[in-house]
Amino acid sequence: MELDQLWKSALAELEVQMTQPNFLTWFKNSRLIDRSPEGELVVSLANNFAKEWVENKYHKSILEILISLDDSVRKVRYIVAIMPVEPQKTTGEAKKSHSSIPQQATFDEFKIDAETNLHPKYTFKSYVVGSSNELAYAASLAVIKDMGKKYNPLFIYGGSGLGKTHLMQSIGNQIRQTHGNTIKVKYIPSEKFVNDIVFSIKNKRMEDMKRIYRSVDVLIIDDIQFIAGKAASEEEFFHTFNALYDNDKQIILSSDRPPHETSILEERLRSRFSSGMIVDISYPDYEMRLAIIKQKLEQEHISIPDSVTEFIAEKMQRNIREIEGVLKKIMFYQDVKGVEVTRSIVEDIIDKTTKHSFKNVTPNQVMQVVSNFFELTEKDLTDQGRRKEIVEPRQIAMFLMKDLLGMSYSDIGHKMGKRDHSTVMHACDKIGKLLTSDQKIANKISSIKEVINSK
Amino acid sequence: MELIVLKTNLREGIASLGKIGSENASLPILKNCLIETHENKIKFSVTNLEMAIASVIPAKVIQDGSITVPLSVLSSIINNLESERVSLETKANNLIIKTENYQAKIQGTKKEEFPIIPKIENEKEYIEIESGLLKDSFLSIITASQGSAIRPELGGILFDYQVNFVKFAATDSFRLAEKTINENRYKANIEQKVKMIVPLKTIQELVRIMSEKDDEKIKIYFDQSQILFRTEKFELVSRVINGDFPDYQQIIPKETSIEVIVNRDQLVNALKLTGAFSDKMNEIRVIIKEGVKNIELFSSNPILGENQYLIPAKIKGDSMEIVFNWKFLFDGMKSITTENVTIGLNGDNKPAIIKPMNVTDYFYIIMPIKSE
Repeated sequence: MELDQLWKSALAELEVQMTQPNFLTWFKNSRLIDRSPEGELVVSLANNFAKEWVENKYHKSILEILISLDDSVRKVRYIVAIMPVEPQKTTGEAKKSHSSIPQQATFDEFKIDAETNLHPKYTFKSYVVGSSNELAYAASLAVIKDMGKKYNPLFIYGGSGLGKTHLMQSIGNQIRQTHGNTIKVKYIPSEKFVNDIVFSIKNKRMEDMKRIYRSVDVLIIDDIQFIAGKAASEEEFFHTFNALYDNDKQIILSSDRPPHETSILEERLRSRFSSGMIVDISYPDYEMRLAIIKQKLEQEHISIPDSVTEFIAEKMQRNIREIEGVLKKIMFYQDVKGVEVTRSIVEDIIDKTTKHSFKNVTPNQVMQVVSNFFELTEKDLTDQGRRKEIVEPRQIAMFLMKDLLGMSYSDIGHKMGKRDHSTVMHACDKIGKLLTSDQKIANKISSIKEVINSK
Repeated sequence: MELIVLKTNLREGIASLGKIGSENASLPILKNCLIETHENKIKFSVTNLEMAIASVIPAKVIQDGSITVPLSVLSSIINNLESERVSLETKANNLIIKTENYQAKIQGTKKEEFPIIPKIENEKEYIEIESGLLKDSFLSIITASQGSAIRPELGGILFDYQVNFVKFAATDSFRLAEKTINENRYKANIEQKVKMIVPLKTIQELVRIMSEKDDEKIKIYFDQSQILFRTEKFELVSRVINGDFPDYQQIIPKETSIEVIVNRDQLVNALKLTGAFSDKMNEIRVIIKEGVKNIELFSSNPILGENQYLIPAKIKGDSMEIVFNWKFLFDGMKSITTENVTIGLNGDNKPAIIKPMNVTDYFYIIMPIKSE
């Protein structure tokens, strides 16, 4: 018998055994949420009081009733529901004030929808489309049109700060806008997913966890690479994925690299990720960067000279998030300090934004991150091996030590297994050149920088 | 049950229970108060199934026992008794209250009908803190919460235990207050971090019961769905709110372009005065001019008139004007006790941060009223 059906029948019998207020008080919002193969049922109750009361006063009758309905039942266990309290619905949007009436401002960051986790600021309207992301954009639109069917899962990959989160959240917001509450959307960074799993395991609440994730129609998981190597999370995600996929629910994932390059990820997951549509977002070209800057300026209602915007677009090639940071600082200079923003000020700002965070990084950290990224050991980097899959990471490590830490060639050589300084020079030179000509290498290096940055 | 108890103790014990029980009408027993004896002590308990409060008072117990009676009847009797010594006795399902010249018989219900108050499984790990300090800390932040039912996760107080400090925060999305207590001011034997949202109502009840005496200690216990506050005199157990408190770190201004230092009392006075003319949005305009040694508070009302107030101030930064809800600003001032306060501003549409001067454990952030 279905769990819901079984519980409904049990409740019908229980109801006649007690007074109406008692029944409502203790069994309101109760659910039968799980059944183990050994015949143990798990009932979730509204609060701790209900749990104590039902356990002490009604357990015997509940067990008897359930056994009479289904003779495979052996045991009943009670837990307190951790499903979020249903928020009361606001009475329409009628309260929206006219622009002429002053309005109490709220903290913008609190606008995140508690149920879907989506931030309303991410929409397609503010998403600039260019050659580097048009495929991803088109695939997203296709997903919205034909949820769970055409491109499932949709896997978006690309470097940090290029708009993966923006695109994914826009999909979620767009679906919510067209379908309202009939479609359940959930956006979640994979870090939160891992934390939820850890919490549930610790508190023996896996049933709740499963129910929450498996009841959605559109599941969006950001930065899926973080679950790689975390066995319990991969396992749970695998089952969630299958449960949703088999029921034609849409799954959207993002990562900093394509599935086949995430080699610590379990094979069965990798092959599932590859089964749908894989699209990449690469670095925006100059025109697109310029369009993005113009659009941001329009949003914030500020104007800066064209020569300055062009200069920023030219200088900031790698990361849109950093462009935003630079624009915010420029706004600050203009608005608050009342300074005319000149090219030299902007140059200064860009310098600070892009170089600031590598001050406290040590060479060992660089080696550690690089070896982790390529799934090698640090010893591989310093050893003499000349296999291609080691040589490139080794050269990248040298390049980063030079680029980020400004170490001398001979120091780097010493650090990297007593190599000659000319070897290091050659490595830095080579990677430096590849950076402009080879998109793959450029992607890798910016991902590595991102990791170092977050240390 | 049979016992003799002093009236003053009895009053104190009953007063701690508050009125939480009487609110729920669906289950009549919730209007009752459970009376139990244990080792020359009487324990009174009430609950509304969201939280439970129990108070303990000393008594001379002749025979142990228990009963539940309607709290409203019990408290109106106890509050009006004159004699110092009161005897309580149960006969069948009745509670008999006796003094030299007075006797009452209240119809009661058996203890078995009363909800079982949930326990916290792990009583080994707790935080111990001075009652007065905890009370002041809660008082300093709860004005920023309105117990929202629309956003349950905003309807409570964040309790953020980070091992070497505890943070309390409250917000209604227009303003946010945060108080930090450092580890040298409490004792704890919990090694992992704990983050939970406690319903505003729970904290309000707690503040009401907690004594201001600094020597009284309060112990705080928790599991994943409940929090328990316990002293020698009372116990309060409450559910916690499911959900994540908003990540408010990002709204705290890291730097401010304008900094104003004013006398706290003068600002409070100015707010009360100028507030008299404000419109229904409670708007007052704060005018800051570079190089001038005071700030101006201005409010006007098309029907009533207008007024302005000058407060001497130290100003760092440029000129600007910003509009606030004066009541929100006033709420923030109430919990500051230092002579001077600093107000940090970043623009007329950006949050302002208010801090007591030279004190780092408290701040209050407030959003302005948007001027179109």
